[in-house]
Formats: sequence, C-alpha cells, structure tokens
Amino acid sequence: MESQVKEAQEKVVSAENPEITAPADWQPVIMGILCNWCSYAGSDLTGTSRIQYPPNIRIIRVPCSSRVDPWFIIKSLQTTADGVLISGCHPGDCHYISGNYYARRRFLVTKKLLNFVGYHENRVQFSWVSAAEGPKFAKVVAKVTEDIKKLGPLHRNKKENF
Amino acid sequence: MDYSKQIQEIASKLFTENKIDYFAGYRKNTFDDNQVPVLVTDPAEVPKLVFTDQSVFNLTNYLKPEHTKRKRVGIVVKGCDSRALNLLLTEKQVTRENLYIIGVCCEGILNEKGEKAQNCLECVMPDPVVYDEIIGTPTGKKEYQVNVDIKELAEKALSERADYFEEIFANCIRCNACRHSCPLCYCAKCCIDQETSSLYHGANTSSGAMHALMTWSLHLAGRCVDCRNCEKACPSHLPLHLLHKQNEKVIFENFQQHLAGMEKDDRGAFYKYSLSDPDDFIM
Amino acid sequence: MARVGVFVCFCGANIADFVDVPAVVAETRKITAVKYAIEYKYMCSDPGQQMIREAIVNQRLTSVVVAACSPRMHEKTFRKALTDAGMNPYLLEVANIREHSSWVHQKDKKAATEKAADLIRMAVAKSIANEQLHEISVPVTKRALVIGGGIAGIQAALDIADAHIPVTLVERSPSIGGRMAQLDETFPTLDCSQCILTPKMVDVASHPYIELIPYSEVIQLDGYVGNYKAKIKKKASYVNFSTCTGCGACTQKCPVKVPNEFNMNIDKRKAIYTPFPQAVPNKPVIDAEHCTMLLKGKCGICAKVCEKGSIDYKMVDEVIEREIGAVVVATGYDLWDPKPYEEYGVGRYKDVITSLEFERMVSASGPTNGLPLRPSDGKVPKNVVFIKCIGSRDEAKGIEYCSKICCMYTAKHAILLHHKVHDSHAYIFYMDIRAAGKGYEEFVKRAQTETAATYLRGRVSKIYKQGDKLIVRGEDAQIGQVVEVVADLVVLATAIVPYKENPALARLLGISYDKYGYMSEAHPKLRPVETAKAGIFLAGCTQAPKDIPDTVSQASACAAKVCGLFAGDTLKKDPMISKVNTEFCSGCQNCVGVCPYQAIVTEEIPLGHGSKEIRTVAKINEGVCQGCGSCVAVCRSMAISLAGFTDQQIINEIIAI
Repeated sequence: MESQVKEAQEKVVSAENPEITAPADWQPVIMGILCNWCSYAGSDLTGTSRIQYPPNIRIIRVPCSSRVDPWFIIKSLQTTADGVLISGCHPGDCHYISGNYYARRRFLVTKKLLNFVGYHENRVQFSWVSAAEGPKFAKVVAKVTEDIKKLGPLHRNKKENF
Repeated sequence: MDYSKQIQEIASKLFTENKIDYFAGYRKNTFDDNQVPVLVTDPAEVPKLVFTDQSVFNLTNYLKPEHTKRKRVGIVVKGCDSRALNLLLTEKQVTRENLYIIGVCCEGILNEKGEKAQNCLECVMPDPVVYDEIIGTPTGKKEYQVNVDIKELAEKALSERADYFEEIFANCIRCNACRHSCPLCYCAKCCIDQETSSLYHGANTSSGAMHALMTWSLHLAGRCVDCRNCEKACPSHLPLHLLHKQNEKVIFENFQQHLAGMEKDDRGAFYKYSLSDPDDFIM
Repeated sequence: MARVGVFVCFCGANIADFVDVPAVVAETRKITAVKYAIEYKYMCSDPGQQMIREAIVNQRLTSVVVAACSPRMHEKTFRKALTDAGMNPYLLEVANIREHSSWVHQKDKKAATEKAADLIRMAVAKSIANEQLHEISVPVTKRALVIGGGIAGIQAALDIADAHIPVTLVERSPSIGGRMAQLDETFPTLDCSQCILTPKMVDVASHPYIELIPYSEVIQLDGYVGNYKAKIKKKASYVNFSTCTGCGACTQKCPVKVPNEFNMNIDKRKAIYTPFPQAVPNKPVIDAEHCTMLLKGKCGICAKVCEKGSIDYKMVDEVIEREIGAVVVATGYDLWDPKPYEEYGVGRYKDVITSLEFERMVSASGPTNGLPLRPSDGKVPKNVVFIKCIGSRDEAKGIEYCSKICCMYTAKHAILLHHKVHDSHAYIFYMDIRAAGKGYEEFVKRAQTETAATYLRGRVSKIYKQGDKLIVRGEDAQIGQVVEVVADLVVLATAIVPYKENPALARLLGISYDKYGYMSEAHPKLRPVETAKAGIFLAGCTQAPKDIPDTVSQASACAAKVCGLFAGDTLKKDPMISKVNTEFCSGCQNCVGVCPYQAIVTEEIPLGHGSKEIRTVAKINEGVCQGCGSCVAVCRSMAISLAGFTDQQIINEIIAI
C-alpha cells in the first residue's frame, strides 16, 4: 500500500485523462508562437540580457498575432506540444495597427472551446509582451512551463495525428 | 401554425408574373409526417407546398448550389433562416435582387414527440429579419438564453468532459454531411480538404474528427444561427449544437452581445473588434 | 528532392559555451532532408559566408538553414550570401540558438543542446516549404514630414531641404524654436541660445523647400513607407497671417492677462500674443480659451486697432492633407512636475523653483529682465541652492533614468548666477557630476573655480522656512556631516520627461514607445534614429534625454536616412506579403474589412475556364500589403497565403520536433 502511494506520488497525472501518467521528472514541450515586432523582439531582449528561463519552450515566429489561426493551437496540442503560449503586442501598439484586436477575439473563443471539449484551460495561454519587456517574457515562460508541468502529458497516442 | 395556403398563393403569383425561376419551399413526404425541402420550377407543383410546425429545414442552404446561385429564387424563411440569409447577403453569396423572400413569423418547430424543439425553445429571433413579404404576427426579439446542454456540461469535471467529447469525436465518420447541409458553409474547397500536408486528415480517428469539427465550428463562430440543419443531417446523430452554442455563448457574453445575422450588412464576430473586448485572460 | 544545408555557428563562445555544437551538428545530420551540415566559429564573418556560398554550389542545396543568433540580427546578411551564390535569398531560414537557447539556458547544457537541435529541426522543416520570392518595387513620394519645430525638427528640416527634398514642418505652438528658445546661454560655450537659434529659424521660414505649418498638429497618418498620407489640423489662429504685419498693436491693447507658459508662468501674456519676441512666424495668435470675444462675444479691441484688418473671429480649424514619403518625429521634452517632493516645499514655498524657471529669469528677454529674483518678495537672491537629480535616478518617483543635461546646466546656472549677481554664492547638492561631452568637464571646472560655487556631495532631506529665508538641510557626504544652508532661492534640477501626448502620437503613427513615453528606436546601438516602422525616424529628446549637440547630430542623421530612402525612383519592398488563390476564394469579402491598410479590393474573374459568366474574388494590392497575415487567418477557405509564413511552413515547424 505504501509503495503504491509512493509510486502515485512520484508520477505526474494528466489533468484531462487520469489514466495517462508520466514520471515525476517529465519535461513538457511548450509551443511558443510569437509576433515578430513585439514578443519575438522581447524574447530576444531576454536573451541579450541573459535572463534565464526553463528550456521547454520552442518558438515559432509569425509577423503578427493576427496570423495565428486556431489550428496552430489545436494541431500543436495534438502532435508535439503539451501546452501552447501565444504572445503579441499590447493592444493599441500592434505594429500592423489592428491585428491583435482581431486576434484576441479568436484567442478567447478558441481557449473557451478547447476547455469545453476537455482541455484544461491552462493548456493554451496568451500574453502581451512588448519589445522592451525582456524580463516579462522570462516570467511568462516560467509560469506557463510550471502550469503545464502540473497538468501532465496530454495524449496517450499522438503518432496518428502527424 | 399552418401557412400552407398563403405560401401556395404567393408562389403561384410569382410564377404567373414570371418573377422567379425556382421556388424553394417545403413539401410533405409521402409516407410519414416529415417534410422535405423542394425546389419547384413548374407552377403545377405549387399545390404541394406546405408550411407548418414541421417545416424544420433551413432552406437557404439551397441558395448555395451553382444551379440556383444565379437564378431568381422565391424562398420561405423562418426567423433563424432569415438571419442566415442576412449573412449570405453580406458575404455576397447571393444577390438580393434575385430573391423574393417570404418571411414567416415562426411559432416554433415541433419534434417527433410533439414538443417544441430545443433550439426553438431557446430561440432569440422568431421573426424574419429580411423579407419581401411577411406572414404571421411579429413577436419581437427574445432574451438570450444559454443552451441547457452546455450549461450542464460546463459543470462536469474536466476529465468527464474530455471522455464525453472523445466519444463524440470517435463516432464522426467524416462524411461531411454537416458541411453540406449548413447554409453558411459554401467554400469552393473546404480548408479541411486542401492538400497542406500533415494538417488535416480524412481518416476516421477521434483526433482527426476533433480537429475538423473544432475548426468547422470556429469558422461558423459568430455566423451560426442554430438552425440545426447539421444535426439533422449527421448520420451518427452527433450533438453538433454543443460546439456551436458554446461559441455563440462566449461571443454573446464577451463581444457586445453579438448574435449572428441580426442586422443587415452584419458580418460574423471575428471580422470586427471592439476596443473594449476583454483580454484579462491574456497575461 | 530537398537538399538542405545547415550551418551551425559557435558565435565565439556565446553559443559554444552553453550548447554542445558538435553534438547538434551530429543530430542534424540524421535528418533525411539535410545533405550537408557543418559548424564554424563565426558564420556571419567573411569566411563563414564563403562556406555557405561554396556549399550552396558544391552540394546543390535547395535551401539553407543558419543556426546562430536571432534572425533579427543577421537574416539580411545571410540572405545576401545566398544571393551571391546564385540562390534565391528567401530560401534561407535562421534558427535562433543564441538568444533563444545558449543565452537563456546557461545552467543546463543538455537541455540547451536539445533545444538547439529542435530549433534546427523546425527551421529545416520550414525551409523545405520556402518558396522563391522576389522583391517588389513601389513608388516613393519625395516629401518629408517633420513633426515638431524645436532644434531637432529645425535641423532635420533644414538638412533634408538642403538636399532639395520638400519638407512639411508641423509645429504645435504658434512659433518654432522649442525649448532652445527658452534658454539664455548654452553649455559648454555660453553661446546665447537665441543668437544661434534664430538664424536657423529664419532659414526655415525662408527656405524654398520648407513648408512651415505652425500652430498645427498631425491628426492622422495612413499608408506605409514612401506612400504615407498625413492629415494635419491647422488650429484657428483668428489672425490672417498673410495680411498681418506683426506690428504688435493688438497685443499691446488686449485687456486679458493669462499666465505666460513660455516664461514658465512667472509673468503674464495677453490673450492675443506671440510667444516670444523672436518668434517665427512673428505673427500673433488668439488663445481661444481666454479671449473674451471668442468666449463671450464682448471686447473686440484687437480687431479695432488692427490697421490691416487681419483679425478674423470667425476662423475655424482647418484640416489639410499631405502625401508624404517619410516622417521625422521631433517632439522634444517636457519638465517633470516636482510636486511629489513635498519635503522640499514644492508648491508651498514660492522661492523653491524649477531650473527652467531660473533659466527664464536669467534670460535677457525674460520676465525679470535677466536678473534672478526671489518670487516671494522680488529681491535679488544672494545665496542660491541648486539641487540636482530631482525625480531623475529615483525609482520611488518612477523615473529610473538620468536626465543627462542637468549636471551641465546646473554648472551653467552657477556661472550665470555669478555673472548676474556678483556677490552671490551658489551651493550645489549633487550625487554625481556627469560631464562627458567635449569641453564639458572643463566647463564644470570653470564653474567650480571661477565662481564661488560650492559643490556638496549629498542629498537634501528637507527644506523649511525661517523668517524670509529657506533652510536647506542636506548631507555633505565627503565630510560625513549634516549641513544646513541658509538660502534665498532654491532651484530644483527637475527631470525631463517626454510630453504626455507622446504615446497617443506613437499610436497614431504606428510606432512603439517605452514605459516612460519615449519613442522606441529600432535598435539602441546600431539604429538609434530609425523606428521599427519603415520610413519613420526619431530626432532629439522624443527618443531619450540628450543635449543640443546630440540632438542636432541625431536630426542630421535622420535627414541622411530620409535622403537615402528617397535616393532612387522606387523603393524595394519586402516580398513577404499575402496573395489570394482565386481558385479557392468564394468572394465573401470578410478579408477586406480586416486589412489595416485597405490593401484588399475585389476583382471580377471568369466563372470557370473559358466561361462568359463572372464571379467576384478578393485581390490584394501587392504595393500596399505589409504582410501581417490578418487576412490569412480570417479566410475560412485558406484561400490567402502569406509568403514566408504559409500554412505549410508553419505546420512543418510544429510537427518537426
């Protein structure tokens, strides 16, 4: 009984499906989609300033947060990622004037829909990071990584989705 | 609710005055009480036209195909149907001058058990929002109600919901009947059928269906009028309205109480924005 | 058949110290599509680029991946290497393994290495779907818009105009001149500010290539580099400038007195006024918020005394449009309000003033005829205490930066005080003395030796009244003692800040700004006058605190950038723009409204091959599209694709790891 309890405590359980577990030192993969002008530049500043953050994130560059189609999120969660972070310019500061206004509508509906069909709401997260916010980007990545670590791995068998 | 006579009179007149090439309406099928859509071209067929509380199908779907798209069509629409028509007009899929719209102030459709259908109980606009001629008495816009099924599901635990939807998606056979029956799904080549490799799969996997259905519902978000054509067409009886009503709720509650197709020249919620749209969910 | 070449950079020790580069290269060689993978110390160097050029030819590469620093650094450099080797430059992808791996995961070499390998996999997968793209030429309107008529705007306008390029200079106040017009003498030369400024102001007014629009504001800017459209609101001056001779009779007779903002509210001006005697244009304007005639319909004296009949109370604001190729933003600085320093008696004691107020008093044409006077009783002060770093370098006050000019102008004030009041004594409380410019250290020495200025290193804790004097209590850290100075006047070297309208202007123009409201430059070291938006440049204190020499340099640099932009007949445009596949477009036009540049229109095409019937589809103007991808994401049919960020490229990236 004790060893069972100990075993349970040493594993991470998937928030969506308790049957799926992983060892306690499991490392999630976070797909990061950053807009070129604000968030990607901000993440570069994080690097230039040598501010450290967890290494689980993989970054895709897009010109604007408005380029992000919901399928980027769905497909990432179905294939390679345990969590997704999307980051753009602060409202009012979009390099392309209005892109992030359209994007944030899609973000909200997509996030709620994913939660509705059975994904934990922390699986996909969003941030506004400006080109000057190097420290903020590191904080955001650290938070998202921590959240996903707690949520555990997503699917049992992802190979069929590739 | 029985406006069969009025519909027949109007259709007859339109044919006599040579104002239309087709009349899109309902007729009884010959072996049970169900009604089916009919595209009448011959004035002699006009007596077959009916309109009762069994006239469920959203006929604007018949404005999509090539053979009706550029012809003059007389069409019967209920409240929800007319909202879809508004969107089709804004999205330039059909020309207003080509249409003669008979708008019916709908009192609700009854299901097989004789009860009012769920979407009619929750109906927000029974009166036609665009018409050339109106039948019945308008009762005005109703207060928005959140669909009972999604309210119930929202209260369930995450893993329960995950299992429930996994089951639903596993039963989708990827027949695409939902797309074909939805009036607002008119893309020349659906994105799901395109050849961007590794993106969408036609295979009957639960995750493939999940991706396809989620994408489809997001493309209809802010445009779906809850006519339930899709659910009626689905051979697996999937509760597709769950996805659409969920998106409708989020859009209504967060984006200026937007409801699809209520106004002339309206576009879906994703094609506009407000400076006060919420973003407290964004870090 | 894809043949991808991967070039992994050590970047000296920047990458190599934290990422196992040889291991990364070995992993990369396992990718089927990668036919050539190699590492080198500095890929951006000449030999590094030579390696790439040779490999493209010898290995018959179909695309190239460089794993190095951020693409925002060297994408252009490596693209050029591809071009030189005869390969389309857009077949390049950069994997950012420095800013995104080696520099941020320094404590976990294994993880950093794995991440680098993944980032390369993503770049390789993306590059396989890259298409050959070709730059587009767009026309360029050769006119510059300069926003702000201080020394920065004046210099930029003159330099651009001297290159025979028309300039429209818009200034918010009735006259150009800005802050420099308020200064008495300038450091380190003690040049009379007006004397060196006024000739430039006159040059601006008379330059054949400069259109000066005073008392106006830019209210809208549409378009993109080389093709902007500006809307400028000309505020109603109620004076017909073309007939007015500047005789000044109206100002003399006007009965209304209003605090004079040019003199820091020390004295009053009239409701109809020119801001200062050397104003350009030297024509008065009526301050609509204080004119009795405009507010109540009574008075009208100025119209009565005007011999030319130039007063027109019926004038209204006018909006004009200009077609512009480039914009220089030169909106200058404001002075921070030192109200939070309650312990210094700001606002309570009349004799605690700001540095600009002191500057106006010592100015010959100022409100006190060039003599510093105590505001409380009008007496000439003998003991004057100057306190530096008021607001600046103070996290608690929300201003972490140094205002750069205060050490120098305080030394200047000590010298000017000595010149004006021979038996005066200046006490300067300081934290540091920043005198880095040419002749600056010598100037401060001059203040210390030629005058009776006493420099006290330490902060002031409190100022309180004693009789009609002020007691300034502070620390002399060099002797480790609290000191108290009996002062007649206290001058606070207050922080300089950007105007509070800066963020609104930035949003109007579509450029970024920082947390203080300073406009953001494209790169703090290598691109200090450009912004992230092509065609919009920054000069002067709108970007950061700086003195006059640096302001003038920056303004001339902007002019050089503008001239470079206008050098050819057309501009080369980035080809990463969107395009409609008419086969899939159903003509719903939902994309049209989403485009921030109105780049999408409709066109009619045949219904099918050889058909006589037509259908309407969307069409993107390739000259206007800026490549944001807003239309791509709203197109349900996936009929629009964005070159360089296509759906195929992105899905490749997602599934690569």
